[in-house]
Amino acid sequence: MTVTDYSDATRATGDAIIELVAVDKFFGNFQALKDINMRVGQQEVVVVIGPSGGGKSTLIRCINRLEKHDAGRLVVDGIELSDDVRNIQEVRRETGMVFQQFNLFPHLTVLDNVTLAPRQVRKLPKKDAEALAMQTLTRVKIPEQARKYPGQLSGGQQQRVAIARALAMQPKVMLFDEPTSALDPEMIKEVLDVMVELGRGGMTMVVVTHEMGFARAVANRVVFMAEGEIVEVGTPEHFFTDPQEVRTKLFLSQIL
Amino acid sequence: MTVEAPVFEEAPPQVEPARGPMDWARKNLFNNWYNSLLTVALAALVVWVLVALVRGLLSAEYEIIRANLRLFMIGEFPADQLWRPWAATYCFAVIFGVVGGSIAAGARDRASEAGLPYVRTTLRQIVIRFWPILALIAVILSFTSTVTPTLLTIGALVVGLGSYYLGRVLPRAVRRWTWLIAVVLIAASYISLAGFGGVGWQGWGGLQLNLFLTFAGLLVAFPFGLLLAMGRRSSLPVIRTISVGYIELVRGVPLITVLIAGAFAIGFIIPRDVRPGFVTRMLIAIIAFEAAYIAEVVRGGLQAVPRGQVEAAQAVGLAPWKTMRLIVLPQALRATIPAMVGQFISLFKDTTLVAVLGITELLEATFVVNSQTAYLGKGLFVVTLSFAALIFWVGCYTMSRESRRLERKLGVGER
Repeated sequence: MTVTDYSDATRATGDAIIELVAVDKFFGNFQALKDINMRVGQQEVVVVIGPSGGGKSTLIRCINRLEKHDAGRLVVDGIELSDDVRNIQEVRRETGMVFQQFNLFPHLTVLDNVTLAPRQVRKLPKKDAEALAMQTLTRVKIPEQARKYPGQLSGGQQQRVAIARALAMQPKVMLFDEPTSALDPEMIKEVLDVMVELGRGGMTMVVVTHEMGFARAVANRVVFMAEGEIVEVGTPEHFFTDPQEVRTKLFLSQIL
Repeated sequence: MTVEAPVFEEAPPQVEPARGPMDWARKNLFNNWYNSLLTVALAALVVWVLVALVRGLLSAEYEIIRANLRLFMIGEFPADQLWRPWAATYCFAVIFGVVGGSIAAGARDRASEAGLPYVRTTLRQIVIRFWPILALIAVILSFTSTVTPTLLTIGALVVGLGSYYLGRVLPRAVRRWTWLIAVVLIAASYISLAGFGGVGWQGWGGLQLNLFLTFAGLLVAFPFGLLLAMGRRSSLPVIRTISVGYIELVRGVPLITVLIAGAFAIGFIIPRDVRPGFVTRMLIAIIAFEAAYIAEVVRGGLQAVPRGQVEAAQAVGLAPWKTMRLIVLPQALRATIPAMVGQFISLFKDTTLVAVLGITELLEATFVVNSQTAYLGKGLFVVTLSFAALIFWVGCYTMSRESRRLERKLGVGER
C-alpha cells in the first residue's frame, strides 16, 4: 500500500475531476482569489476552512460558474469553463450545489423542487423524475415531506431537501457552501449525518464549513484559505495536530 | 445617620377598567370643559349632516335615474337588443362562478396534500365577502320600472352560485382547463354583444364601457408591461435604455395627455384609411399608459425575488429563460398581485377621463342626462353624480377588500 502525500494542494488522490490552475478572481479592485492551484480527485472529500472574507465561497462558486474567474484555467470533469454557455451548462449539470441559505423554491412543493431540474434539464418523464426524487428524498431521510412546501419545514429539513434537489441531477461533484451556518444548533447534526453518508458513499465533495467534526470524520484533505490564498493543505490529522503556518495556528486556536 | 429607603406612600395610579358606555364617555368625551364643548359641537354637526342626508335621500327626484338607468349601465345600446347585454352578464356569472370554484378546489387539494387545515367557504361567507356589490345591485334594481331585470339578475346570481359549486366539484383533469372555459366564455360574451347585428365595443357606453376599458386595457397592457420590466433589467444597453426611456416618459405625463395625444396627435400621423377609430385610439392610449405602470409594478416584484433563487436555478443547470419562467416570474408576479389590484382600481376610475373627449361613459352620462328637457335647470347633478360615485365606490372598495384578503392569504403556506 502506498502512502499518498496530501501535503500539496495540486495533488489529488486519484484522477482529478476538478482542476484549478493559477486562478485569479477580482471584485473591482479587490482580489478575492490569488493564484489558486488545486486538484480534487474522484471520490475525494475536500474541506475548505478559513476566516470569513478569505475567498472560500468565491472559490467554490467559481467551480460551477456562479462567479466568473478572471484568469487561469478551471476544468471540471474534463470541461474547461470559458465564456461558452454550453460548457457552463454542461458543468452545472455535473455539479450539485448546496447553499448556506438553502435557496429552495418557495412556490413549489418539496417534490417539485426536487423533480424540476431532472425534468427540465435532463428531460426525464414526470413519472421517472418523481421516482428518482422519492429515492433521493429517502436518502436524506424525509420522503414523508414530499407534498409539503419548503416554508412548512424546519431549517434542517429544508437543507436536506436542498441536498436532495442537488442529488437528483445525479452530479459527479457536490459543492457545499457553509451548509450548516444558517441552522439552529440542534439541526446541524441531521444535515451533517447526511453529508457524512454521502462522503462515505463515494461522492466527490468540496465543502466550505466550520464543522471540524465533519472534517475529521470524512475529509481526505483540509485546505486552509486566507486573504484569497491557499495557505496550507493537509490531512485532517496533520491539520489538527501539527499545523505549520502561523495564520493556520492562529485561526485554529480561535475556533477550536 | 441612617439612610432610609424611600417609601412610596401611594400605590402607583392604576388604570381603572371602563365599566360601561356612560363611564367611558365621561372619561373620554367629558373629562374637562373644552372637551365637553367639543363633544357637544361635533355631535350637533354629525346629527345635522345625517338629517340633511336622510332628507336629501328621501326627497330627491330619482326619476332622472329611473328614466336613464339603461344609459348609465350600457350607454345607447338599442332597446330591442337588450338580450345581448343580459347574455353577456350570464356568461360572466358562469366565468366568475367556475373560476372562483376551481380556485377554491385547488386551494383545498393543495392544503390536504400539504397537511394544512382548510376551511370550506359557506354561502354566508360569500354574502359577507361581497355585501357591497350585492347591496349595489339591490340599489340599482330599485330604479328599474319592470320586474324583468330583477328576475334576470336573480337568475344570474343563481347561475353564478351554481357555477361556483360546479367549479368546486370538477375533477382535477377538467379543472386544469378552467382558463380555457373562461376564454371561450369571454369570447362568447363579446360575440353575444357585438356579433350578428349587435353593437361593437366602439359603440358602447355607460358603465359597460368603463368596465371594458379597464379589463381590456389591463389585460393587453400586461404582456407589454412584463416585457418592459424585463427590458429594464436587461444587460443589453440598447434594450435597457429604450425600456427606461419609455417608462419614464409615459409615467412623467398625466393620462389625460396620453388620451388627447391618442385622440388628436396620432390622428395626424397615421393616414386616414388605416387610422383606427376614435374609441380604439382611446383604448390604445390607455394600454400604452398602463404598460409603463405595470412595468414598474412588475419590476418591484422582480426585485423582491432573492438573488439566491436565480443562483439555485442556475446551479441545477436551468437555462436562463426557464429560470425566468419557472422560478423568478411565478414568485415575482405573486408578489405583485396587491399592487396590480391597486393599478386596476385606479384605472377603473381613470377610464372616466375619456369623458373629456366626448365619449358617453358612466360619468359623462350622468352629466348628459341633466340637459334633457325634463330635467334641465333642476340642479339634479347631485343626484346623478352620487349615483355614479356610489357605483365607483362599491367597485373600488370591493377590489381593495379583495386585495387585502389576497395579501393575507399570500403569506400563508407557500412562502
